[in-house]
Amino acid sequence: KASRWQKNGGKVMFAFSFPLLSQVVLKIIKHYQEEGQGSEVVQGVLLGLVVEDRLEITNCFPFPQHTEDDADFDEVQYQMEMMRSLRHVNIDHLHVGWYQSTYYGSFVSRALLDSQFSYQHAIEESVVLIYDPIKTAQGSLSLKAYRLTPKLMEICKEKDFTPEGLKKASVGFENMFEEVPIVIKNSHLINVLLWELEDKSTVSDKHELLNLSSSNHLEKSLQLLMDRVDDLNQDIVKYNTYSRNLSKQQQQKHQYLQRRQQENAQRQSRGEPPLPEEDISKLFKPPQAPPRMDTLLIAGQINNYCQNVKEFTSQNLGKLFMAEALQGHN
Amino acid sequence: MSRFFATGSDSESEESSSGDEITSKAPGTTIKQSLLLSDDEEDTKRVVRSAKDKRFEELTNLIKTIRNAMKIRDMAKCLEEFEQLCRAFLKSKNIVDKEGVPQFYIRLLADLEDYLNQLWEDKEGKKKMNKNNAKALSTLRQKIRKYNRDFETEIASYKENPQESADEEEEKEQEDSGSSSESDDDAGEEVSAKSFLKKKPEGASEASKFLKTAKGSGDESSSSDEDDDDDEDWGGDSEESGSESSDDEEGKGKSLATAFLKKVSSTDKSGMKKAEKRKKQKKERAGELQEGEGVEDGEGPWEKVKGGVPLVKEKPKMFAKGTEINVPVVVKKLNEILQARGKKGTDRAAQIDLLHALAAIAAENNLGQGIMVKIKFNIIASLYDYNPNLAAFMKADMWKKCLDCIDELLDILFEHNNIFIGENIAEDSENLIISDQPFRVRGCVLTLVERMDEEFTKIMQNTDPHSQEYVDNLKDEGRVCGIIDRLLSYLENKGSTEEICRVYLRRIMHTYYKFDYKAHRRSLGLQGETKSEQDQEESEAEDSAIIMDRLCKFIYAKDRTDRIRTCAILCHIYHHALHSRWYQARDLMLMSHLQDNIQHADPPVQILYNRTMVQLGICAFRQGMIKDAHNALLDIQSSGRAKELLGQGLLMRNMQERNAEQEKIEKRRQVPFHMHINLELLECVYLVSAMLLEIPYMAAHEFDARRRMISKQFHHQLRVGERQPLLGPPESMREHVVAASKAMKMGDWRTCHSFIINEKMNSKVWDLFPETQRVREMLVRKIQEESLRTYLFTYSSVYDSISMETLSEMFELEIPTVHSIISKMIINEELMASLDQPTQTVVMHRTEPTSLQNMALQLAEKLGSLVENNERIFDLKQGVYGGYFNRDQKGGYQQKQPYQRDQKGGYQQKQGGYQRGGYRNQNQSNY
Repeated sequence: KASRWQKNGGKVMFAFSFPLLSQVVLKIIKHYQEEGQGSEVVQGVLLGLVVEDRLEITNCFPFPQHTEDDADFDEVQYQMEMMRSLRHVNIDHLHVGWYQSTYYGSFVSRALLDSQFSYQHAIEESVVLIYDPIKTAQGSLSLKAYRLTPKLMEICKEKDFTPEGLKKASVGFENMFEEVPIVIKNSHLINVLLWELEDKSTVSDKHELLNLSSSNHLEKSLQLLMDRVDDLNQDIVKYNTYSRNLSKQQQQKHQYLQRRQQENAQRQSRGEPPLPEEDISKLFKPPQAPPRMDTLLIAGQINNYCQNVKEFTSQNLGKLFMAEALQGHN
Repeated sequence: MSRFFATGSDSESEESSSGDEITSKAPGTTIKQSLLLSDDEEDTKRVVRSAKDKRFEELTNLIKTIRNAMKIRDMAKCLEEFEQLCRAFLKSKNIVDKEGVPQFYIRLLADLEDYLNQLWEDKEGKKKMNKNNAKALSTLRQKIRKYNRDFETEIASYKENPQESADEEEEKEQEDSGSSSESDDDAGEEVSAKSFLKKKPEGASEASKFLKTAKGSGDESSSSDEDDDDDEDWGGDSEESGSESSDDEEGKGKSLATAFLKKVSSTDKSGMKKAEKRKKQKKERAGELQEGEGVEDGEGPWEKVKGGVPLVKEKPKMFAKGTEINVPVVVKKLNEILQARGKKGTDRAAQIDLLHALAAIAAENNLGQGIMVKIKFNIIASLYDYNPNLAAFMKADMWKKCLDCIDELLDILFEHNNIFIGENIAEDSENLIISDQPFRVRGCVLTLVERMDEEFTKIMQNTDPHSQEYVDNLKDEGRVCGIIDRLLSYLENKGSTEEICRVYLRRIMHTYYKFDYKAHRRSLGLQGETKSEQDQEESEAEDSAIIMDRLCKFIYAKDRTDRIRTCAILCHIYHHALHSRWYQARDLMLMSHLQDNIQHADPPVQILYNRTMVQLGICAFRQGMIKDAHNALLDIQSSGRAKELLGQGLLMRNMQERNAEQEKIEKRRQVPFHMHINLELLECVYLVSAMLLEIPYMAAHEFDARRRMISKQFHHQLRVGERQPLLGPPESMREHVVAASKAMKMGDWRTCHSFIINEKMNSKVWDLFPETQRVREMLVRKIQEESLRTYLFTYSSVYDSISMETLSEMFELEIPTVHSIISKMIINEELMASLDQPTQTVVMHRTEPTSLQNMALQLAEKLGSLVENNERIFDLKQGVYGGYFNRDQKGGYQQKQPYQRDQKGGYQQKQGGYQRGGYRNQNQSNY
């Protein structure tokens, strides 16, 4: 079932067959509004099932926020309990992924990679839903579904994060995650209701979209971007030293071999037996290569920020032109 | 039991002290033995008793050691000796077969077994034993069990009747020890000598007489001219002692051992115990004497007596009555006394007294100044010797004595012009006899005075600085200075330049840290309040500044050792700085180039350097040169070890890093308390100057990524202040400065002022300056100016224009000052504004980038470095694989590069244009 779903490109859909009004989305939003604030992140479990070539997510529940007081809280236990309870009331209880909120689009991290890997490893069709509350607050719902690419899965499985390993797998930051299109589905009745509501709503309700102030958002993004660039810089410097060391050693090794060869040649000419073979790898231990996964993740994150900023600025430019036109018109 | 543990030699002296009559006599005999007995007497005895005794003696000696080892619970030793004993016993098998197993042997075996069993039972004790001992114990126990099986019957009989056999045994033992003491057994002799000496209080008169003669005979060996009357003494004494010990000798004539033994065995046990106790006390008393003898032990009894010389110090009989006292005799005597110097057993106090006595005799007999000077030299030297340890400091009274001596010495030297002293005058070329020729004496006053000065420093270091004692000691500083002054004038006439340099440096060292209040008052044109003071002022020869100048310049010109010059320069700078002659001090510091190579100097000089730098910084602060002050203090303060660097105390933190030895050395480097620089003042000056520099800088560079901290320590203090959960009114000096900084950040100079200058801070810091009022005025002024700058930096963005008049009112500065400050800021491109002359206003240009723009600039910078780093990686890759890769790729990359460079250049150009357009240029900023 899952493999077929995979073959068809894996389209994720939200299907609501019951009068549960955009239930999952609203639940996620509500969860964030209740528990998350600022850069804090909220997480939860997605439930649903695979139908033909779609993954239908029909329900979700949040992970409870836990403080340091109840360190012995068993999350797995809680999930099982929750799913059993849901089953009792005849709701889809199949685990199909998880969701997480984000702060200015910063979600590409080691933690996300690890947990998504374990999800995808256990349940192949798992997705992670990233919900951006800040963008949503600005007027446009921002929900994105990601999966790890098969290549990355492969690497994670082997835990080979050396430069060579990554090179062999030819994984770049752009093909670490694949985004899966989302379709939000409502029941017809809800659609009808929405139409009706839209007619009733006044223009002022939609003003948020036209907010012209941009510097705050941009500043925050830039700040985060800068931090990441710093990190990346550090990693590069590290890698730089590594490769310098490596090349130095290569050179030494080369010289050593040459000297050895010369000596052997001399010995041969003198009729002596050649020097015994020695284990060169023991003599020249290659320096520890810095793990590249973090660098890759940072690059991915930077990419993400850039996308965000680009989107935001283009939207804002549009708004500004509009505003200018309005000014001119008046 | 304890009696049994007594060692052989103990039992011997035990015997000697067991009865009063005997005590007085027995030692007499023994010492007489060694003194008087003719050799053949001893020899014959030895021959007679050889076969049996030799073996038994060996055994008893071994038994002795075993018993000793038992006493100190040294099982390992016990085991070792026991094995030897067994071997020795086997050797003497023949004799044993003839005579039967000796009782003392059985006794030891029985005792040892008992003892071991006892130890074995004692679980607690066994636990405490170290591993070696415990192992030895178990081995020994097994061995002795096996061994004792052979002697079962004997041991049983001994145990039945231990008393009897013990007595019997003792007889033997004593017999042995008797013989051993007769033979040249050193230990025995020593003990007897000891007991003789410690007996002194009892038979005081006799003993002292004896001693006197002994001493006399010691003299005899050295000084020939007192032969006759010594001989008389000697003869009398030997008679006396002979009669005393007559019955002993008698006994010895027959059988020395038995004569003693009868008495001993007849004395009851209680008597013995008592005697033992008494003996112990005596032993303790004798301990000190013994020490003295220990050294000369090898040289026989004669030497021992010589060591006892100090004993007769009450009635120093330096020279025999009739001797003609002249120079050579005195010199001889002096040398004799000095020979004892440095030896372990020499009583140093007595030596000093002897020398004094000798000096008195010399003075009495008018032997001339030469000899006096020589004796004085030696007295001072032995005073210094009094403390064997260099680290320990002299007692204050000793030191004062020394001071007196030096004073007297200088008196003599001043009075008599014809005395030459010098280190290089050889001992034999000395001329001490009064004659037409000038005296020539070996010795160096300068060294003595230097040593004295060092001792003074040591005394000051070791006195609690908050005690009255310290004040008392400090009062002597005047005397020290006086002596140095006198020496200085003496050496100026007679000494070599080198010596003059050295004494000058001493003088400088005593001058440089003192503030010359009189000169200060004079320079202010103030008259002394009272007439007498005025007189005093007039009588004062010169300002310390002039003295310093003269002395230092001499050293600069004449000194050939680098160290003295360096010290002199540093002291000179310090003195200048202390008296607010900032420019002289700074110029001297810069000219000397000391900053370049001071790290090669030894620690005391480095400490002096640190002190000088600090004083320089404080001086700069007083003059209002905040930046200079900050720079001078930065090194000392930033390390957080100011206390250590200035030699004003050790940091506890470092305790574990250094061992006791290092700590001692470091302690010796400490500067005495009266020379300390107030650390709180130092820190306050530093923090306030940092505040005056840092706050405007922070305001100016709020969004600058490349902003650097001027003072880390100041920032640290600020952070500490911010971390406080509850901000109360400031208490400590630091809190005051932090609070003031916060006020200054807002441009609120009045609050800042009230935090920096108030009662608390006055008493803590500002009142410590000589010109308090002037410093405070300067400080207020600085606070006003810097607050104005900060205000303009912080709030210029909210103004379109601001009137200078308002500013001058706000900061209580005159309009011209405000004008000049603002102009300076505009010129330095710190403030984007222009002055509108007619309206007296500052018009802002509003060209500051917004925070977003700032951020973007920063990001661009960071990306630039990122790209650079990335390119470097690529270069490296090319270097490695360069040979293998096809050229196309390489070419392609290289082709790409110019494009990238273009881009970068364009960006940079753009940035340049940006800056020209009015953005602040960071490089041109003031700091």
